[in-house]
Amino acid sequence: MTRKTNEIIAVALIVLSTIGTVIGVFAVEKFRRGRIYTVELIARQPKYGNWYPKKFTVPYGKETRILIRNIETVSHGFAIPDLNVAAKEIKAGEVVVVKFTPDKKGTFPFMCTVWCSDEHLHMTGEITVE
Amino acid sequence: MIEHRLHRLKIQITQIVVFVSCLLSLVSLGVAEDRFFEIRAKKFSYTPNIIKVNKGDVVKIRLISEDVYHGLFLDGYGINTLAYPGQEGAVKFVADKTGRFSFRCSHTCGEFHPYMIGYLYVSPNRLFPLGASGILVFAALSLALSFRKSGKAAKFKLFGLVPLDWRFELTRFKVVRNLFKNRWFPFIPIVINLFVFTIILLAGILGGWGAGNYNFGVMIVWILWWVLLMMFMVPVVGRLWCMVCPFPLIGEWMQRGKLIGVGRQKSWGLNKKWPNKWKNLWPLVILFWISTWFSGFFTVRPLATFMLLGTIIVLAIVISIVYEKRTFCITMCPVSGFMGLYSNFSLCAVRRKDPEVCQKHTLKTCFLGNEKGYGCPWMELPYEMNRNTYCGLCLECFKTCPYDNMGFFLRPFGQDLFAERRRTDDLYRRRGLDEAFKGLTMMGIFLSFFIAFQGPFGHLKDMARATTLGGYLAYLAESFLVDFIFIPGLLLLFAFLSKRMSRTKEVSLKTVFVNLSYALVPVGLAIWAGFSLGIILPNGSYLLHILSDPFALGWNLFGTANFPWTPVFTGIMPYLQVLTVMIGLLFALDLGYKLSLQTYKTVEESRRGWIPILVYLVIIHLFFLKLFCG
Ligand code: SF4
Ligand code: SF4
Ligand SMILES: [Cu+2]
Repeated sequence: MTRKTNEIIAVALIVLSTIGTVIGVFAVEKFRRGRIYTVELIARQPKYGNWYPKKFTVPYGKETRILIRNIETVSHGFAIPDLNVAAKEIKAGEVVVVKFTPDKKGTFPFMCTVWCSDEHLHMTGEITVE
Repeated sequence: MIEHRLHRLKIQITQIVVFVSCLLSLVSLGVAEDRFFEIRAKKFSYTPNIIKVNKGDVVKIRLISEDVYHGLFLDGYGINTLAYPGQEGAVKFVADKTGRFSFRCSHTCGEFHPYMIGYLYVSPNRLFPLGASGILVFAALSLALSFRKSGKAAKFKLFGLVPLDWRFELTRFKVVRNLFKNRWFPFIPIVINLFVFTIILLAGILGGWGAGNYNFGVMIVWILWWVLLMMFMVPVVGRLWCMVCPFPLIGEWMQRGKLIGVGRQKSWGLNKKWPNKWKNLWPLVILFWISTWFSGFFTVRPLATFMLLGTIIVLAIVISIVYEKRTFCITMCPVSGFMGLYSNFSLCAVRRKDPEVCQKHTLKTCFLGNEKGYGCPWMELPYEMNRNTYCGLCLECFKTCPYDNMGFFLRPFGQDLFAERRRTDDLYRRRGLDEAFKGLTMMGIFLSFFIAFQGPFGHLKDMARATTLGGYLAYLAESFLVDFIFIPGLLLLFAFLSKRMSRTKEVSLKTVFVNLSYALVPVGLAIWAGFSLGIILPNGSYLLHILSDPFALGWNLFGTANFPWTPVFTGIMPYLQVLTVMIGLLFALDLGYKLSLQTYKTVEESRRGWIPILVYLVIIHLFFLKLFCG
């Protein structure tokens, strides 16, 4: 190997292990989400930002995946009583996936089901099925 | 003769210990009671935080939460319960194991959750008197041995077994030598590490201000890396971490213009020189101490870990553009100081093989560099290097030495503590108060960390995480007083006594203080190893989770993403911690007396001067014993 190729290989390794890794991670995640209709839902106490997004829409009759990421430091829960969907407990830092096929059209409330703070009862949002 | 008597003494002491503990257990036998405790859990403490029962008692605990989900896991008994506002937890057990046990929150309740701890004492505590008598027996033995030896031994032997200057060359094996001479080594491990740190940084940013215990960055850095560093890398290989550290990579690339090949020796940057009088550990003592101010944040918040690492990376690049070679590593990297000091204890070292070969080779290519490699980036003089503090194990000198005169050696622990002073030690003001204070502040930082993060005191945790500015400032002030005034003051007192008792006129107090502070090198390593056990055993299981889902995106790479938090061996943890502290003490006693021999002129002076230091070591070890199990 000449000196030149050595340098090129070394630079390539560095780029691969840094920028390549970052791009790879995002690409994998994009592919993973692309296969089923996915909504990402972030769970936080009302004080630190509440549900995000607070309102979202999913298609009627199609398999849907809600990826709930608790990016906070206390447990939360998730439920859409009208659609019979629930995730018992989502611990801090955990990610929970709920899969369901909406069989009713309309707008329904969803809420946190674990006592997470004094404003726990305000941790609610709305899901619309069309 | 004396040995025989000592043996008898030892047997007698053990008999007394056994007798006393039998007596104690007899006393406690008859009175098994029902004990009931109502423990209130609130972020991040229990009230009461300390409960005491006797062996045989039937203990009932009701756990009440005042804010969010909390749990109570009891070390040693493996009992667990959960509480939630309006829903109590309860446990009932027979206290059949004795000693001190931590109970820990078992349900993530906030960022300080891993530090939410209380103590249960089941008396009689056998470990403490056992440990204390161990300390006293060892000290007595050491004293007796030091008075037995006739005159200054021609050769120091570690524990009277291995000559301290013994060494075995590992690079005599062709495979190792060729590996060390290859320009792709250690580049390849560095790149692998770069990959790991890219994931750490990404996870840190994505994890934001959330909980650290489910974050890849926080867990890998503060659980895996820190523990590996303190328990394996530094004591065994020295600056092994620096060999594979990715932080200086970019800066070094800019300086050299090449990654693998050898370009010009002079940096492409400004190539400024760092002032000689600060080329010692002082900047690192201060910087590491300052970075501990934020330990209540970066060990629990992913973004804080990201910012800490980011700062180090940016600083490393900037400094390498302005200053020559590894100026950053020698003077600024926060972890460099203790790695340097404690590496002197380590089992491995890079040294020249034959001094005569070096003498004849007037063009010192290991320092200047040649077409095979760069001159020592750490600005050491490999041809006369005799200590590990400033050797980053970068292996350039293996490449630049035309006679293959550099070797990688196995040697007994602590060899470097007795190395002769060199010209550069004086030129750069090394091996003086800087190294003494490095060792002393590491002891102080251990104390603050242990009490705040592994102790049961909620208000200290609130101070460390800055719930109020006043409390935080008080925490910093306390750490300053302990690290820079109280702990050094205590050693100074005993160094003064040592000098007085030796009745010497020729040795200065400063020399006594500095020389004998090196006895604290094995002590420091041992207490930090004990501290590390307190991190890895209760929390190591988080690693399984974060390896499978590094970015908290719901991945499950290895199928372990839902592995629950499982403390391992926490029941015997105090025993392991006491064991490590004892090993540290043994080394401190053995090396300490030899340091005393080296400090004072005559054997009689050294013996008399050793006594106060021995007392000092006994006192601090009794204190550590109290911390770990009392
Ligand atoms: S001193 Fe610090 S930055 Fe330099 S190689 Fe060692 S750990 Fe890395
Ligand atoms: S070149 Fe310097 S820092 Fe690198 S291994 Fe040799 S002596 Fe140590
Ligand atoms: Cu808790």
